[in-house]
Formats: sequence, C-alpha cells, structure tokens
Amino acid sequence: MRLGRLLSLVASNLRSAWVRAALAMVGIVVGTGLLTFFIGLGQGLREKVLERIFPVNQLELEPRAVQIFGTEQILGQEPLDDARVRQVAGLPGVVRAFGKQKSSFPARLWGGKELLGYNLFTEAFFDGIPAAVVRGELEELEGVSAKRGPSAIANGDRCELDLDCAAGMGCGDGVCVPIVWADRFVEVPEVVLPCGDGDRCPQGTTCQQGRCAKAGESAPPQRCVLPAAAGTGRDLQFDREVGELAQPCADPLGFCGMPATTCGEGRYCAADHPETRLGWCERPLPAVINPLLLEVFNSDMARSLGAAPIGSLAVLFGVRFHVALGDSYFSKDADKHRQQFKQAIVVGFSRKAPELGVALPREVVRHFNARLKGNAAAQAYDTILLDTASNQDVPQVIVEAEKLGLQLSRKSRAARTFGTVVLVTSLALVLLAAVVLAVAAVQIAQTFAMLVHERRREIAVLRARGAARIDIAVLVLGEAAAIGALGGLCGGGAAIGVAELVDRAAARFLADVPLVPQGFFVFPMWAVPLALAVAIAFTVAGALAPARRAMRLDPAAVLAES
Amino acid sequence: MTAAAIAIDASGLSRTFIADQRPVHALREVSLRVAAGESVAIVGRSGAGKSTLLNLIGALDRGYQGSLRVFGEEVRAMPDRALSRFRNRQIGFVFQAFNLLPNLSVGQNVLLPASFGTELGHGERVERARYLLGEFGLADRFGQMPAQMSGGERQRVAIARALLLQPPLLVCDEPTGSLDGETAAHILGVLHGIQRTHGTALVLVTHDPQVAQSCDRVVRLDKGRVVDAVGAA
Repeated sequence: MRLGRLLSLVASNLRSAWVRAALAMVGIVVGTGLLTFFIGLGQGLREKVLERIFPVNQLELEPRAVQIFGTEQILGQEPLDDARVRQVAGLPGVVRAFGKQKSSFPARLWGGKELLGYNLFTEAFFDGIPAAVVRGELEELEGVSAKRGPSAIANGDRCELDLDCAAGMGCGDGVCVPIVWADRFVEVPEVVLPCGDGDRCPQGTTCQQGRCAKAGESAPPQRCVLPAAAGTGRDLQFDREVGELAQPCADPLGFCGMPATTCGEGRYCAADHPETRLGWCERPLPAVINPLLLEVFNSDMARSLGAAPIGSLAVLFGVRFHVALGDSYFSKDADKHRQQFKQAIVVGFSRKAPELGVALPREVVRHFNARLKGNAAAQAYDTILLDTASNQDVPQVIVEAEKLGLQLSRKSRAARTFGTVVLVTSLALVLLAAVVLAVAAVQIAQTFAMLVHERRREIAVLRARGAARIDIAVLVLGEAAAIGALGGLCGGGAAIGVAELVDRAAARFLADVPLVPQGFFVFPMWAVPLALAVAIAFTVAGALAPARRAMRLDPAAVLAES
Repeated sequence: MTAAAIAIDASGLSRTFIADQRPVHALREVSLRVAAGESVAIVGRSGAGKSTLLNLIGALDRGYQGSLRVFGEEVRAMPDRALSRFRNRQIGFVFQAFNLLPNLSVGQNVLLPASFGTELGHGERVERARYLLGEFGLADRFGQMPAQMSGGERQRVAIARALLLQPPLLVCDEPTGSLDGETAAHILGVLHGIQRTHGTALVLVTHDPQVAQSCDRVVRLDKGRVVDAVGAA
C-alpha cells in the first residue's frame, strides 16, 4: 500500500473512531508520561543533586581500615606518599590522581564584615589540595557564578575592593581591571611562609632569612610594622583591632626602598606571630570554598544570625577573612611564636573543598602542618583524589585500588550509595511506568480487537479491492502506531509540563531547605524520542494480535454475511 | 474460443465447508466458461451456491477442488500478494450492499483500488475517478460522504470504484437487489453499457428474472450443481 494512502486511511479511521482511540490512548499517555517523568527525575537527581555534591567520576581514596571494637583502625599500611599517588594515577581508567592533606593544626577564622556588616568567628579546618585538581572547576564555577548585580557595578570603573567590580573584574589601583580568580589559586602563592632551621619549605623553595624563598630569589619580601594597638597577643584574639591587620602598614626599615606607607596593591601586613609588631607584606592566602557552604549558611545560619541570605556565589569572590594558624578558640596551649596571623581571600568554589571548611593550596597546608605539628605531620597525605575517564571506569578503579590497600573515603562511599539508591529507585519507577504501559498495551489489544471486529466488512472490501493480507496488517498497526505516537507526545509533553510545575513549586516552597537544587528534573535530548518510541512499541505490540486476526479474515465469508 | 478470449474457465469446481463438524457441499463439480465481453447471470434459490461460485470467480476464495482459471491464471496457485494484485487489476466487484467505506468520501472510495498499487499517477487517477463519477451523473459529489447519498447513487459510486482500474471482469452480487425498479433498470443499463463498450466480462448473481434475461447467458444452480444453462456458451 502506498504510504500516503496508508496515512490517509489511518487518519480517516482514527477520525471516525476518535472517542475510542482517545480512550485507548489514555493508558499510553499515562505510561509514557510516567516514563518521561521518572527519566527526567532520575537524571535530575544524578546531575543536579548527586553530581553536584559528589561528582560520580571523582573518587577519594583512603587507606583501608578495619573495624576493631567499633572503631576504624588502619593497620600496617604504607603511608600515602607521592609514590602511592603515582601508583594510583597509573591504574587503568584513572586520568589523574593527587594527594590531599588535611590540616593537623588548630586554627581560628573570622571575617565577613564587608559582606554581612559584622564579623563571624569560627574554628577553622583546612584541606590542602593541589591547584591543578580544582583548576577546571574554579574556572567553570567562576564563569557560572560571576554575575554580579547592578549595585555592584553602580560605581562604574572606580572601586576599593574586588567586590565593587563587575563580573570578571577585580579592583586594581582604584579601578576595575579584568581578573581571573582561578589564576590566584596556585600551589605556592605569594605568601610569606616563615621557617627556621629544619623547617620544611614547599618544593622549589628553601629557608632563607627566616622565610621560604625560591632558589635564586634575591629580593626579600617587604617587612612591615603593625599598628600599635594590634601589637599584643591579647588584642589579636577577638576584638576589632585585628581588622587593622589588613590596613596598609608602614615600612620603617625601608626594605627594598619601598615607600614607607603601604604594602602595595593587593598586599597587606601579615603578623609574624601574636607577640610581635612586625610582619611581612604579602598577598592573602588563596582560599577555595565548597558551594554547598553558601546553601548551608543561607538555609541554616543566616536567619539565626539575623543576616540576609547571600544571593549568589558571585558576591563571595574576593571576600577576605582572617585566619590565625596554630591558634584555637578551644585550646590556648599552642606555641604563640609559631602561630601565624594571615588573611585569606575567596578565589573560587569547588566541590572538592570541604563542606565545612576551607581549601588552601596543598603546599601551604603542608608547610603549616610541618611548622605547627612537626615534619612527620607533613609527610603523608590523608586521601588521594582521582578522576576517572568516565563513570563506567569507576567500579574497576575501586577494585584495583582495593588491591593497593585503599578504599573509598566515607564521602565517596556515601556518594556511591546515594548513586546506587538513585539508580535503583529510578529503575524501579521506570519499571512501574513499564507496567502501566503493559496494561495500556492490553487495553490497546482489546480496543483494536473490537475495532477489527466492527470493521471486518470494511477489511473484506479492502481485500476484495486488492489489499493483500500484509496491507491489512500494516493498516491496523499503522493506526496503533499513530495512537502510540500521539499518546507518546502527549505523555512526554505532559511529563515535562508537570516537572516544570514541580520545579516551580519547589523553588517557591522549598527555598529555605538546604541543598535543594534549583530544579529536580533534567530531560535529556533522547527522553521524548524514547518515550515516543516506547509508546509506539507498546501500542504496536498490543495491536499485533488484532492485526493478525484482521489479516486472516476470510473476505468471502465476511461479505456473505447479511 | 481462444485462450485469450476466455475470461473464466472453471472445470469440476467444488467447494466444501465444514459446519458443525459436518461437510457442507456448497458447489459440486461445476464447470463454466465465460468469454471476454460476455455477460452471464447466475440464478438459483437461496443456498444454491451462487455466492460461493461468485466468490471463487472473484478470486476471494481459494479453498476449492477442481480447476479455476481466470484469464488463464489458476487462482489456487497464486500466493496472497500476487492474488491480491490480480484481483486489484483484473476484477471489479459490485455488491448488493454497495460496501462503500463510510469514513471515506465518494472520491476516496472510488480511488480506493488505486491505493494498492497502480502505475497511474495521482493526477491521472483523480481525473479518471472524476470522469467515471461524471459518467454516472455524480460529478459534483466527489467530496461528499456516502451517507449523504441515495441507494442508487451509492451503487453508482460502487460501480465507479469497480471500474477505476478498467478491469476486464466485473463480478456483481445482486447489484440491483437493494434498488427500486427504475434505479435498478438504470444501473443494469450502466453495467451492460460497460460490457459492450469495454468488452468487459460481466458475471452477476441475481434473483430478478428481468436482470437475468438481460444477460447473454443464464446459469441456474441448484444444490451446488449447474442444472440449467440458457444462451450461447
């Protein structure tokens, strides 16, 4: 039968029995709607929730532990050193691997006045991560987030802080200049790392005149003097005078012939330790924070602190805060002469940063681990971060890592568990949709059986006028396919519409709930075509038996019926 | 009569159905020849086997014994697709109940045989359908639905449909059975006109003696057998 003629016959038949066709289509619409909806939900949970919190192809490994009397103990393991990192990096499917070192020293952190109107004070925890491991993510999130509101650019090009400038701009010499925040997170930043005999300095630097300096570096950093009011350990604890550390400071010793009033653009006077008025001019420590921290602050902390929620990550770019390395709000027995008072600046966001902490360049954390807790504390990494080439490589990498005496970190285990739960739940829901579609197919079978019975005379006429059996089968199946296609489109469209409503409702009613994504649904390009194909497949399957009966009708017997 | 001039050549044709697990012999050893351009009326009482014979001649039923050749082709030997194509090209059907498809317009009904394969282009097919409808006085009814027409008009549409591909054999089952006398006479005139004009063989089943007498030959069936044949063979 000619295709055009087939379509014309299908259309006229469906028109004549549109009520029955519509009723038969209901099950298909519901089934494909559920299928599309659950595909979108599963994909959304993976992309917007799971991968947002735990990127699937990024794993964190730690030494294998055994449970002894309810506690995890690491027994007889070799330390996680560079050799072990290289070993992991060489595993099949691993694109790259890096050691991560957590801070083993206490630290205090305070700041936020420029953003919130008052300072927040907290105990601080640091993860030392290599710049290379977060570089791409910093650029990506910087690109997405760096959309500052109109108020931020109201002053035109004039600025005092980076925050005064528009997206992608930073403050330099009182005017906004292009800035790439990700460039500021480097392995060995322009930070003065103090050292003494035997202290460890980052790779490529040596201890020269009490600070770690690159080999061959001749010009010493500018020495500065702190304001008198901040010159005691007591003053540096809690009160606002600590804020003065960030102010331009004098250069009474006239090092390097610098003007005796300032540390220069982007630098500040960092205290050597709490009991000295001397310090070094340096850049703030580049800090990376986890984007989830903003959500936790907005949802759990802002209201209780009486602060307004922070609109977006973008406003956090360039925010400075103070850190007292080696000091603690809880313990006062630290060696004050080894403490360091510095500033840090938010230069980006990464999911590899700790959820409740700050990521610093690994060599900085390592340096202070050695300085404040001894060289042994800086020898080994705590975990190994790795990226796999694809999600499919993850299971094999885990198996190979276990052979090396490593296991997934608690965070990665939680990610995989959550991922499995999402996958199993998605599959279960898709199965439910398949059951609905199967029921719909039975309904289609019944409807078409009736239609074939009612139209047997027409079928006999078609046969008499030259239709082969296969033509009759194609005609019946064509009608089924048309119902399936229409039902699939309606179901897929309805699913997308309902998902949009759910997302809008969630945005309206769940705005204060932490970690709630901007939407729960992601519909891949293939979702609607798949729904369409499945709908057609199920309706055609349902119509197979009636089509078979139709093609086997004896035209002579039917035409002989009165 | 040459082989080419023979439209139907049935020899020893029998057809048995199974009803209530018993064989029912609808046709017994029927032999019949119909020449191209000849009109033959098949008459007989109800249950005599008229419609069974017509279905066999129309290649709608292949479950016969004996031999049945239509235009030289043994009907039973043809596979379904070839047989369907054969029916499409060689045989036109006219039914008592018209059997127009109610979902299709008059024009679409007439064009129906062209749906199953023809060398005619779309324009040519439509032109021919319009011509046929015009010939039957239905030129302005192309887009109407069959439900809007009288019985005589529907039958004329059915005849137009049967003639679209100009088949050399026209098989009619009580073509005037549902029509009033005047309309029946008109339809009969149309059928014989086609027979004469195009040399179409015409085989029709009828209970109406006047219709039967209008044909070149009358074949009477009784209990599945040919009991009488009047006219030139």
